[in-house]
Amino acid sequence: MAATAGGRSRLHNFLEGAGNGGEHRLVANGCESSVTKLVVENAVIVFGRRGCCMCHVVNRLLLGLGVNPAVCEVDEAKEEAVLHELSVINGGGVQFPAVFVGGKLFGGLDRVMSTHITGELVPILKEAGALWL
Amino acid sequence: METLKTPFSSSTYAKAASIFDSRSMESQFVPSRRMDIYDPIQQIGMWGESFNANSNLHASVSMIAEMDHKISNESETASHEMLAPSNKYDQEATKRIDKIQRRLAQNREAARKSRLRKKAYVQQLENSRLKLIQLEQELVQMKQQGVYMGGGLVGGNLGFSAPVKSGIAAFETEYARWMDEQSKQICGLRTALNAEISDTDLQMLVETGMKHYSELFRMKSTAAESDVFYVMSGMWKTSAEQFFSWIGGFRPSELLKVLLPQLDSLTEQQFFEVCNLKQSCQQAEDALSQGMEKLREIVSVTVADGQLGEGSYSSQVTTAMEKVEGLVSFVNQADHIRQETLQQMSRILTTRQTARGLLALGEYFERLRALSSLWATCAREPA
Repeated sequence: MAATAGGRSRLHNFLEGAGNGGEHRLVANGCESSVTKLVVENAVIVFGRRGCCMCHVVNRLLLGLGVNPAVCEVDEAKEEAVLHELSVINGGGVQFPAVFVGGKLFGGLDRVMSTHITGELVPILKEAGALWL
Repeated sequence: METLKTPFSSSTYAKAASIFDSRSMESQFVPSRRMDIYDPIQQIGMWGESFNANSNLHASVSMIAEMDHKISNESETASHEMLAPSNKYDQEATKRIDKIQRRLAQNREAARKSRLRKKAYVQQLENSRLKLIQLEQELVQMKQQGVYMGGGLVGGNLGFSAPVKSGIAAFETEYARWMDEQSKQICGLRTALNAEISDTDLQMLVETGMKHYSELFRMKSTAAESDVFYVMSGMWKTSAEQFFSWIGGFRPSELLKVLLPQLDSLTEQQFFEVCNLKQSCQQAEDALSQGMEKLREIVSVTVADGQLGEGSYSSQVTTAMEKVEGLVSFVNQADHIRQETLQQMSRILTTRQTARGLLALGEYFERLRALSSLWATCAREPA
């Protein structure tokens, strides 16, 4: 890849840096000890691979509802460790993107979409304190 | 060589003859032993009407014009040289001879022009034939490469030569069957709603209808594994349907807009819920569309990585391939939203209302397809 002045290619910068567009809170990624902390401390938090478009869809949907979700973008290197940690918290398997609401695993994009269509999502978010009217 | 019954000097005659020869055309003169004109008009008509002037013809015409000029000069000069009219009778004779000579010369010219036009016409036919062969070869190649053009696979509708992506061929066959079944179901719903059938029976029809849509989404998911661009573009649908296409299918919120006025006898609660559903669909659609935008950006940046103009780009293209595979989840998620919307509608509405909704939906698409057919028919006729 061609090097820019900063020594990194434009592609590299794009994928690694500017993924979230700055609208939601990008929290520190991937350290095992902090994962549990993140889940507990945030009403809504989304875990996803860096540069994942489906993760972006979840975030845009939540933002559109007035939720300000915490987002944790996980490096490929730390992916396994983070998934393992999340599975421990959940007591079962976890896949990216994973949405935790009120400290518990809520589900992936599929569940977020279905519950939104049926109208169940918003009350759940309100209950968790992620949404105020 | 024919002897003309006019007092030409042999030298002029020979000169005229040599002009014919040097152009390497048929050097025979128009066979007119009689003084009658050999009618060239028919010949001119034949070649003139059947094709347009091309560069060959222009060259021939200019050549002919040159020749004409020479010949007429020659014959005029010859006449004046040879015949010095001394009295009135001689003058008359000269004029007649001039006329005859001119006529013969014109005949020759006409015949020559005709031959040249014929040659040019045959040339054009040969060129067209070669072009046709070339196009046929290109078409065969394109079919082999699995090139898709609006409305389906090149050659797919013509019924010969199997496309490379067999998953898509399977889908097209299945979809044709699905459409047949869909027409039957729509007719069934129409009949049932006009007749006095029980809610239980109606419920069965509704469930069959809902399952049929689920079946379509399943088919599309399989086809997307084979060729996601094909499914995404909605190429398998008619042109009017494609016009409304969003990520390989209908946009749920748009459909609700179409359906809402069709559902009379909605309670206030139902109306409120349907409006909420429409809004939820819009939000879901927006989120998915924004995800698509991001994917486009990623693919674009990946493809453009490095110096554009270098000439070697296989690594960029390979990396982009991986990103493009992400499209499959978009197709699946869009169908997921469609599925959920249909399910939610059936929850909000009564059985009878759902049946009416399915019928309305089915006929809406039928009308769009009819629009496509009408458009295709009109478009083929020249203005």
